[in-house]
Amino acid sequence: MPFDPVRLELIKNAIGSVVDEMLLTVVRIAYSSIMKDTMDLSSAFCDRSGRMIAQGLSLPLHLGSIPDAMEAVLAEYGDAIAEGDVYILNDPYHGGMHLPDIFMFKPVFVDGTLFGYAILVAHHNDMGGRVPGSSAADSTEIFQEGLRIPVVKLYDRGKANDTMYKLLGLNVRQPEVVLGDVRAQLAACDIGERGMQDLAARYGVDELEQSFDALLDYSERGARATLRAIPDGVYRFTDYLDDDGVNFNQPVRVQVALHIEGDSLTVDFAGTSPQVEGAINSTLSFAKSAIYFVIRSIMVEDVPNNAGFFRPIKAVAEPGSLVNPLPPGACAARGVTGFRVIDALVGALAQAVPERIRAPGEGGTTSYSIAGYDRNGTYSQFREAIMGCWGAGANREGIDGVANPAANISNAPIEAVENSAPIRVERYELVTDSGGPGQWRGGMAVLRELRYLGDNARLQLRSDRRDHPPFGVKGGRAGTPSRNLFDNGPGADGNADWVDLATKFVRPIRTGQAIRHTTAGGGGYGDPFQRPPWRVLDDVYNGKVSPAAAARDYGVAVSGPPWRVDTAKTEALRCARAATAADE
Amino acid sequence: MNNAAVPGVRVGVDIGGTFTDLVILTPDGRLEKRKIPSTPDDYAEAIIAGILDALGGAGGKIETPIAEIVHATTVATNAILERRGARTALITTEGFRDVLELRRIRIPFSYDLDWEKPPPLAGRALRFEVRERLDHRGAVLTPLDLSGLDAIARTCREEEVAAIAICFLHSYRNPDHERRVRDAIARRLPVVHISLSSDILPELHEFERTSTTVVNAYVAPLIGRYLENLRRRLEEIGTAAPIFVMQSNGGLVPAGTAAERPVLIIESGPAAGVIAAMRAAREIGHDNVITLDMGGTTTKASIIEDGQILRARDYEVGGPVSVSSRLMRGGGYLLRIPVIDISEVGAGGGSIAAIDSGGALRVGPHSAGAAPGPACYGRGNTQPTVTDANLVLGFLHDGSLAGGALPVDRGLAKSAVQSAVAGPANLSLLEAAHGIHMIANSNMVRAIKTVSVERGRDPTDFAMMAFGGAGPIHAAGVAEALRIRRIIVPPAPGLFSAFGLLRAEVEHHTARTVLTATADARFDALQSIIDEMADSLKQRIRAEGLAEETIDFSALADMRYLGQSSELMVPLSELRIGDAVLRAAEDAFEVEYERLFGHRADHRAFELVNIHVIATIDRGVEHGACWDGDADDDSVAGRHRSVYFGPEAGSRETAIVSRRALGVDPRDGPIIVEEYDSTVVVPPGWRAWRDGQDNIIIDFAEAAD
Repeated sequence: MPFDPVRLELIKNAIGSVVDEMLLTVVRIAYSSIMKDTMDLSSAFCDRSGRMIAQGLSLPLHLGSIPDAMEAVLAEYGDAIAEGDVYILNDPYHGGMHLPDIFMFKPVFVDGTLFGYAILVAHHNDMGGRVPGSSAADSTEIFQEGLRIPVVKLYDRGKANDTMYKLLGLNVRQPEVVLGDVRAQLAACDIGERGMQDLAARYGVDELEQSFDALLDYSERGARATLRAIPDGVYRFTDYLDDDGVNFNQPVRVQVALHIEGDSLTVDFAGTSPQVEGAINSTLSFAKSAIYFVIRSIMVEDVPNNAGFFRPIKAVAEPGSLVNPLPPGACAARGVTGFRVIDALVGALAQAVPERIRAPGEGGTTSYSIAGYDRNGTYSQFREAIMGCWGAGANREGIDGVANPAANISNAPIEAVENSAPIRVERYELVTDSGGPGQWRGGMAVLRELRYLGDNARLQLRSDRRDHPPFGVKGGRAGTPSRNLFDNGPGADGNADWVDLATKFVRPIRTGQAIRHTTAGGGGYGDPFQRPPWRVLDDVYNGKVSPAAAARDYGVAVSGPPWRVDTAKTEALRCARAATAADE
Repeated sequence: MNNAAVPGVRVGVDIGGTFTDLVILTPDGRLEKRKIPSTPDDYAEAIIAGILDALGGAGGKIETPIAEIVHATTVATNAILERRGARTALITTEGFRDVLELRRIRIPFSYDLDWEKPPPLAGRALRFEVRERLDHRGAVLTPLDLSGLDAIARTCREEEVAAIAICFLHSYRNPDHERRVRDAIARRLPVVHISLSSDILPELHEFERTSTTVVNAYVAPLIGRYLENLRRRLEEIGTAAPIFVMQSNGGLVPAGTAAERPVLIIESGPAAGVIAAMRAAREIGHDNVITLDMGGTTTKASIIEDGQILRARDYEVGGPVSVSSRLMRGGGYLLRIPVIDISEVGAGGGSIAAIDSGGALRVGPHSAGAAPGPACYGRGNTQPTVTDANLVLGFLHDGSLAGGALPVDRGLAKSAVQSAVAGPANLSLLEAAHGIHMIANSNMVRAIKTVSVERGRDPTDFAMMAFGGAGPIHAAGVAEALRIRRIIVPPAPGLFSAFGLLRAEVEHHTARTVLTATADARFDALQSIIDEMADSLKQRIRAEGLAEETIDFSALADMRYLGQSSELMVPLSELRIGDAVLRAAEDAFEVEYERLFGHRADHRAFELVNIHVIATIDRGVEHGACWDGDADDDSVAGRHRSVYFGPEAGSRETAIVSRRALGVDPRDGPIIVEEYDSTVVVPPGWRAWRDGQDNIIIDFAEAAD
């Protein structure tokens, strides 16, 4: 019998507010900018059998990670869960995703009986290893990437595991930050524990557990309704990563086949590259997160993120492949692979339900760090992420200057950066003529240039989409590729000396040198020659498209200023192309 | 100089989307009220009509002199939401004209591919760059180059720009470049409004400062015209009384200042309600109160603690209100201004209820608004709203609301609830209506948690003050969910915000980024910044014609642990900086920090980020008053109706009484108190009485039923 729709909504809201409160706790008390400002973290509640009932407002690419991590905890301690325990893990081969992400689980007991788990996963500033920030793309073994933590008890019946704390403190570059952030995670788990206990007191354990079933069913129905709306069939697409961070000019394949049968989906990764030498290998849980994200974003209605949503969706990937690696494959920079899996899925869905998707945006966050020791031996680290834009869709303009929808994070305020690090930001702007032309234009690329003013340090950067720019859909064209320029100067003449660098690198940086990163532009949607001239005019007026590109890419002749469309010339340009097309 | 108002009545005017509320305080302490339909084409129309109705005499002139008019308005907010502000240009440091459009990048919802970014209020074609650069200490890295200004001014003239915002990097440390550009522009474009970021918000964070300054420029010409027009219309009816405008921080400013810094008055109506609640709470000895202000489309909640409002610094115009959480920033136009910490959810009387495809009952965020309004209005909307549910349950009077001004039809409400909710969900009509009511309550609970639990406050330590047209209907249900045991419903709850206008003081805020570790703070440097701020406020106040002898200064500090990136605001014990003041601020910071987060940091190293100076001006007005009129209304005497209070209590024959008839002795629910502007629901399990100030007090009664 269906659960009372009123109770369902009330309990759903109540649990949702518990997991959101957990997240807010970390955002407010963490030390690292990556948790506070970037909010690279997620919260969740699982029931006593480990089914995820709710996930907080947080990073979409963590969606699929909780179940695998939960399973790892249950496999290790499932028959001896005690009140006051806290478990942690970070190893991608023991339920984690990449080493900087520490998963923390606190069992919630009600009247002495296990009721569920409050869970908080968060990306730490550093986890040791060969490169500051523990996120380098050019590691070749997990052992280089930092401290590996299998499932362990950080607390045993309320008693702290000093050994674990000491090991963690000794293996990371900024122990006060990392340990402070671990404490923020603990505080969040306490909030989750208390919140769920309050709910149990209000509704009773039995009623709550019945509501869990109803909530899972509810999300499952939402997922199935979405899948049912996609015509049955197999939809294939292949996209590429430029390289693996070690072997340049060797593209890495991401191949997907979406099997839609009625109201279920299987994603087969056959044809995807074998696992790679560099650190962009992605656990299957992370690849699944990408799938859940894509399906979630084409849903018509909002449903809770829970295990019910996952039920009709399967992923198949060969062990030893890019999206299901075996030890000791390096995983630190796997984020870029997740972004590419999303883009490949979008490419496949564009064949089935083009009106529901958007062409890819900039291709994911470009993340980089500048870290080192100053003359006094004091370690410091600066990191940030650059984004971004959205591609265009049917009746949807691309969006200029926005977070990637799968990694909804903030940029770093320039004035805060300059007050806290020996860095000067020299430019931060949108790039003209970078959005993929289309009837609906893709979003514009973003350029950010930083000059380093400190002592010698190491610059680590991870980007992509230079050789394989974001594609267009339905006749829309690709956005412009990404680019990394490095000012090797100042030379003897005091001038800048800009050189092109690879998509992913770790290199020294000296006082006065600078890095200029340009993201890729978003893909366009539909034939650009169908774009209404007034929209092209508006883009030219705003310096988003140049008059030359307006004529070349859109067949619209704009002159000025004051800017206006030359109708006769526009007609001629558009007819000329139509004629060429007819000839072919 | 002295501030004593000329004798006469004081008039509080709160313009809302549907009604313009007027509250008039006579010199002998009596209060009168008027509710007039708003006149969006010229908002002054309704104000003049209301004043004439209350004070009018022959020939369209008032008979009773007016001492002052205190005003809250949504004119600025609406101008932004409807994009009717001035054509606005922005001048920035070279390389950074897109800071305004890039924003903080983050979006409010993660999975919504239909999301659209609010278009920048200064479009890219009207964003200009000037060659100049300061470092983070305010030192000049690249000298200001004014050679491009002719071209910029020419474009602005051709583009008919009416307002210009100027925002350079690190200008909070050194306003010189911004001022020189302003002077150069003002010479070339004498009639264009110019807002400087170093003037509007001399604080760290370029996007927040730019956005705030641009909003100020965008609404300034419009607000200036609006206030001028109001002034002229008032003169026409024979009064030159000063106009004060409510700011988002709960203090008043004279109209002249509001026209210069309209960004301060963006969210003024809700602030007035909180100020009214603060005064009412103090009078009856409740120092800790949660406010619940429910209107037609949204519900707002705020906290009064130890008799003080809680302050916040950021506000977003046009952001999503369906969930109040701070995690969902990025959907609107950001303002960094001193505001009362108010959270808002998209649950009001007009919020629409529906069963979604997964089978859950949803209420909001879509709203039928004031027009067409709930189904029971019979104006074309057939989807059930919260008001319809309340009418079906018997909480509201069938036939008419607002003292007969608003006809409603329970039959229409029933068929809407039946066809959209009860039928599809296989519930009885009453169960469905009660479900809608409960879910609306749970949305309001979320708003209250945002201002309480998320700030480390336990709602059970607070009483609830319910107002707004619909607040007192939902108060008991919301209180029960939060385990709040006392509810206070002030007199005339539907006009409470307008009343609050008459209870506010003139207040000026200013702030400056100082960014220094407290351990090595230079007292003299801090002192000179504080003195400068206090002087600039004094100047402003003198220019407004108020007496500076009555200024009461206070200061706040934004502090954080060294190494963290966000701050807490704590009071400074005095304006004279010294070791004791800073140590006390550190202690206050740690107390608040621990309260919010449950622990303190290992180290005791602190950073002082911004200092705020607040000047409050006592203009000698009386804050006490008593209401005239309908407390004595006995039109409802002796009536009963059947009211459904949920599956446990079921349908109960419920007495309908007036506030007067409620009496001073506690009386067990169910009772419904019907008034001109509101309805108060006392469910079974609660008991209610009227106190000495005419508040209705509703207490949770343990042993009921």
